[in-house]
Amino acid sequence: MKNYRFILVYLIMVVVQVLLDNYFPLSRYVLISVLPALILVLPVDTRPIAAMLLSFALGLVVDFFSNGMLGMSSLALVPVGLVRSAVIAGVFGDELTSRGDELSVHRLGVPKMVLTCLILCAVYFVVYVLVDSAGTVAFWPAALRFGLSILVSTPVCVFVVRQFRP
Amino acid sequence: MARAGKFYLGLVTAVIFILLEIAAISLLKRSSTLQNIWINRISHNVMATSWGGLTKVRNYFGLREQNEILAGRNYELFKELQHYKELEKTMNAMARLDSASLPSRFNYIPAEITAMGTNSRHNYIILDKGSEHGVKPQSAIITPNGVVGMIYAVDRRYSYGLSLLNDKVSVSARIGREGLVAPLSWDGHSFDRAILKDIPLHLTVAEGDTVRTSGISAVYPPDIPIGVTTGSRLIDGAVNVVDVKLFVDFSSLRYVIIAENPDRQIIEKMEE
Repeated sequence: MKNYRFILVYLIMVVVQVLLDNYFPLSRYVLISVLPALILVLPVDTRPIAAMLLSFALGLVVDFFSNGMLGMSSLALVPVGLVRSAVIAGVFGDELTSRGDELSVHRLGVPKMVLTCLILCAVYFVVYVLVDSAGTVAFWPAALRFGLSILVSTPVCVFVVRQFRP
Repeated sequence: MARAGKFYLGLVTAVIFILLEIAAISLLKRSSTLQNIWINRISHNVMATSWGGLTKVRNYFGLREQNEILAGRNYELFKELQHYKELEKTMNAMARLDSASLPSRFNYIPAEITAMGTNSRHNYIILDKGSEHGVKPQSAIITPNGVVGMIYAVDRRYSYGLSLLNDKVSVSARIGREGLVAPLSWDGHSFDRAILKDIPLHLTVAEGDTVRTSGISAVYPPDIPIGVTTGSRLIDGAVNVVDVKLFVDFSSLRYVIIAENPDRQIIEKMEE
């Protein structure tokens, strides 16, 4: 029952991401993405290979249904899947994985969750902004876009994580 | 064992990561022109850098072979350089002869000595210029340092001359610029000495005076230095002879000038 709920909410979040991309563009300097959160909320013992494969597929689905370029989200999200386990181990410690516990915002604390989301968002947006600008945007505008996107997306991601792992 | 398993897992993870990124890039290239151009540019840069690095490595390991090739080329260039140096020496010698302050009434042809005899009383000289170069018989053979001889016969490409070290050759000479004129010839005793003959008894010649061609001749240009007087002797109680040390060193002579007087035949006709 718990798994069905997880999957349902997961699909809803994918739809939300598609809707955000298609109908709620805040600014050309601000990107909102919940995709790093959707990778983060996978079971803690998920291996990087599985996380990367899911990241690739998830990115493709979102790009396919969005107006975006096919492959862009996959390109940015696969590194998130790669570093996810390392980031979790780094922020929450090895005990989390060794005990077999799952993430919990309440138990592990909001600050650590914010830090985790911040790191994953940074990994995601650094690739996304770099590839999206394709060498046509100067450094500082691109940096501003990167910073603002992290600033907006990190709380959103924490909120999304809380829906899955309260 | 566990460490090896971890290593292989890490390797597989890295490979899958790279494959997924390549797949994403391929999709992106197909869906966006801008990204396509950008990715192509980056990939070209990466490839150029890689090839450049590989070339540097290959060049480094190929240095031995390159060194051998360069050594070979160095040797060839050295030989060529020597050739040009010798050529330059020849040209300079020719130029020195050309630039000598020679009277312009004569035509001058630079020449190189092909053969020269110095061990008889009738020494000869063969030059590498002949009739096709404008050489005519009865032309003077000189250097800026003095008289060498006279052209006797001319072939198409070579000319045969009588050396000053030949007792048949006589040069009209003058002691000093405005002094006594007398015939100069070789006495057959020494390769660096000649004598001025028929000097009247009442005239005294000081030692150290420069002897030059007199110019009273259709063959030799005037004021070509010949030598320097070293003393005089009384011959047969009637005339004096003056010993002259020649300026020309016949043992090291190589380049000469053929001086041809275009008016020689007219002058000789008038003399007749």
